[in-house]
Amino acid sequence: MISEMFQSGAMPVLERLAQFTGARHAVIADNIANLSTPYFRPKDLSVEKFQRQLRKAVDARRATATPTAGALNLSDTREFRFEEDRLDATPETLDENILFHDRNNRDLERIMQDLAENTLAHNATMELLKNELDLLKTAIREQL
Amino acid sequence: MFGALDTSTSALVANRIRMETVAANVANANTAVDENGENNPFRRRIALLSSGDPATGKATGVHVQEIALDQAPFRLRYEPDNKLADENGYVKYPNINSIYEQVNALEISRAYEANIQAAEATKAMMQSALRLLA
Repeated sequence: MISEMFQSGAMPVLERLAQFTGARHAVIADNIANLSTPYFRPKDLSVEKFQRQLRKAVDARRATATPTAGALNLSDTREFRFEEDRLDATPETLDENILFHDRNNRDLERIMQDLAENTLAHNATMELLKNELDLLKTAIREQL
Repeated sequence: MFGALDTSTSALVANRIRMETVAANVANANTAVDENGENNPFRRRIALLSSGDPATGKATGVHVQEIALDQAPFRLRYEPDNKLADENGYVKYPNINSIYEQVNALEISRAYEANIQAAEATKAMMQSALRLLA
């Protein structure tokens, strides 16, 4: 009963999104740490692939008897394994930029852009999650 | 997400060590004499980076694997009146080019800044997550 309170509306979606931005942030921080490491190849988690799985799960939930309530069932991919309370992700190596003389194909601007985007996405997720929890709190208190 | 902060910190440490080697190179750019008074110049130091962080035992992050000595030949300067000169009148000076060191110092300080930026982003994310509790 009490756990179903957190499995309704946007809450499960936001939870998965927060797990994803957290995991992606760790990957981006590693890329930045290894900006000048010889032979290092930057990695990333694919936003598109994650969103595709999320969209499929939301669509599947919409088709059930309770379109806006209930847990999301995300199916695992080669890159993402959706455990009950966490996300195990395997980053993919990027081959976008030219190889520098130290055998590192860093792309500083792209990495910093990813960092900014991911931070904003995470903060927006947290803001929305906080709104959901505030709504619950208001309902529990039975006063505005 | 706390792991991301460890990653950034390992890079800050590694870049500080690199900067220390650059500082030692610049400071000793003209050191031609060793502690015994011989003409044995300072050899250029190079900090070699490798990914992974032994301090936390994780695969993410970066560390200085080795401070290597540059095996490039010493600079020879013709100073026949110098008491250190060899039989041909040459004195050996360090194999350090301070212009290279300046460029390396710039690159290192930019890398340091990038990691500060990443650590700030991690902090902002943690702060927004902690606000859920308030």
